[in-house]
Amino acid sequence: MSVLAGKNTKVLVQGMTGTQASFHVRRSLDYGTDIVAGVTPGKGGTTHLGLPVFNTVKEAVAATDATASLIFVPARSVKSAVAEAAGAGLELVVCISDKIPVRDMLEVRNILKNGKTRLIGPNTPGLITPGEARLGIFPENIHTPGQVGVVSRSSTLTYEAVLETRRAGLGQSTVIGLGDDLVIGMNFVDVLSEFMNDDNTKAVVMIGQMGGNFEELCAEWYAASPVKKPVVCFVAGNSQAFSATVGYAGDIITRGRITAEDKKKKLAAAGIIVVEQVNRIHEELQKLRL
Amino acid sequence: MNIHEYQAKRILSGNGIKIPKGKIAYTADEARRAAKAVTARGPWMLKAQIQSGARGSGRFLEAKAGSRSGIRMVSSLRDLGTEAEAMLGSTLVTRQTGPRGKQVSRLYVEAYTKVGFTFYAGMAIDRVQAAVTLLLANTRDDDINTIAESAPGQILRLPIDLVTGPTHAQTGRAAEFLKLQPRSYDSFYAFLRGLFKTFMANDALMIEINPAGVMKNGDIIALDAKISLDDKALFRHPEHERLKDDDETPPRELKAAKYGFTYHEFGGSIGCIVNGEGLAMAMTDMVRDSGSGVACWLNVKGGVDRDKVAAGIKIIVTNPRVEGIVINILGGFVRCDLIADGIIDAAAEVGMNIPLVVRFEGTNRDEAESILQRAGLPLVMAHNTDDAVNKILQAVREGE
Repeated sequence: MSVLAGKNTKVLVQGMTGTQASFHVRRSLDYGTDIVAGVTPGKGGTTHLGLPVFNTVKEAVAATDATASLIFVPARSVKSAVAEAAGAGLELVVCISDKIPVRDMLEVRNILKNGKTRLIGPNTPGLITPGEARLGIFPENIHTPGQVGVVSRSSTLTYEAVLETRRAGLGQSTVIGLGDDLVIGMNFVDVLSEFMNDDNTKAVVMIGQMGGNFEELCAEWYAASPVKKPVVCFVAGNSQAFSATVGYAGDIITRGRITAEDKKKKLAAAGIIVVEQVNRIHEELQKLRL
Repeated sequence: MNIHEYQAKRILSGNGIKIPKGKIAYTADEARRAAKAVTARGPWMLKAQIQSGARGSGRFLEAKAGSRSGIRMVSSLRDLGTEAEAMLGSTLVTRQTGPRGKQVSRLYVEAYTKVGFTFYAGMAIDRVQAAVTLLLANTRDDDINTIAESAPGQILRLPIDLVTGPTHAQTGRAAEFLKLQPRSYDSFYAFLRGLFKTFMANDALMIEINPAGVMKNGDIIALDAKISLDDKALFRHPEHERLKDDDETPPRELKAAKYGFTYHEFGGSIGCIVNGEGLAMAMTDMVRDSGSGVACWLNVKGGVDRDKVAAGIKIIVTNPRVEGIVINILGGFVRCDLIADGIIDAAAEVGMNIPLVVRFEGTNRDEAESILQRAGLPLVMAHNTDDAVNKILQAVREGE
């Protein structure tokens, strides 16, 4: 069992022929991911990494029944790539590409607003269901199949969270990096509700960060959720200095000033287990006796 | 990327927003000529062009600049020359610049514009809703930052539809909120449309007009302007390249940016090299909780070039505040072996005579560790983040 993608998910790759994409797609294939096709406009009819390449997502879907897309295209092509994937009716899009203009992401979210396509990312390590499927760039050797769902805004802290589950002697059901660009696709609430409905997931590790109010919304949602599996959470960015140097100035005025401290208080009040340091996560997981 | 007030106003004006007549000046002579060109009779406004808010309550460090702020009203050409002379080359400190302030190298000379009511207008991105949001507030009693922190309910926030832009219905609601007179409506509508047009056409991340004013005839005018542009969209705005003012960015930060990395300085003594901002923040929190502080961090996320990595590492090694360096890489996209190569190159070039703790995890970790072992650098390996932080703090304390 897994959330969003597992061993039965047929995946196509948009922008598969680039160097970095080839490197990671090959590793994902070796991992056992059911990658069935590549899409590169102008290279339709060729093969790459032993996979057929199509000109359009529609053609690739018609030939392979793929339901998910993994995107590696250059930043300036991301908007049209996601729009094409959504237009072809794909259920899941995982966008690894980074440096995407915020305006493009605003338009992408507008395109996805009323459809069924769900977007993870951009600028994310992606999604991995250990032992089943790797849709992204995760270092696969740190993962083991298990019962802890992991969701994180920060890419690198995703790996840290996975290592913490390992330190607790546990594996992961599915690991999802949300990405931390100004505008992203799925957020904590979207992913947590998947984990709450997944029989195999017994607990969740969540990594938040200063900026935006994703964590507050998550706290409200969790407080009201009928299913409450334990969630262990770390929020990065306590130092006040951060909001001035690395934060988005618009946050303060669009939502009021929200510090990591405020976030932690709200999460704890909602019943989420909040740790002060990322390397304390394993202790809380052990206490859960999963 | 932030731009100066006069540049922002020029862009806004091109999108139908009314601004006072003004000209930029780099010398006192130019300031006098600019003043004459702007309006035959004063008063004029002399405005220091540094990228900071609160210039109007800022003070100069140098005695020659006098006790007045970074924004000065002058009524005669003779005074204008004297004041310009005093401000140019002096250092303006505001509550946003930090105690060292910023040197003023250009002045914006504007015709003084009489207004009645003033208000705050902003446009920013609501990250959760993925919406461009119009922000308005009456700033008669408090400045916008105070309102945002203590009475956020007093800010009107209207999500703007990407396709339609600000509508008449929204303009009506906003006008009512600010209690504008009916004769201001058309100008206010053009003002809001202009803000949105500027935002979208320039890939802005934020626009602030603080304050906007209502003129005698009811027209809305932008008295100040601040625009932040999206660096990631620079490829489609070659015209923005020349708006960049390198003097506004601290030199090491600027250097790191040239290699595609981000770099930030803080007050402590530990230098951190990490991949990812979340990891950097988590480590900073950890170092602070242990009673020490981070001097700076370099984020090498996305780095796939050995030379660039080495150049980035040199930036931290040459920071005099740094008493110890901790390198913490959890490689996915970033390959640990490449970082190891970069460390060796940097050490070979500038020497490494302060404690160095390294933790690698993820892509090509084993290769990376053996590269460092072979190089024989005096370094300590760590096996996770708290271990790395503990080891560097211990090494720095022992060195004292």
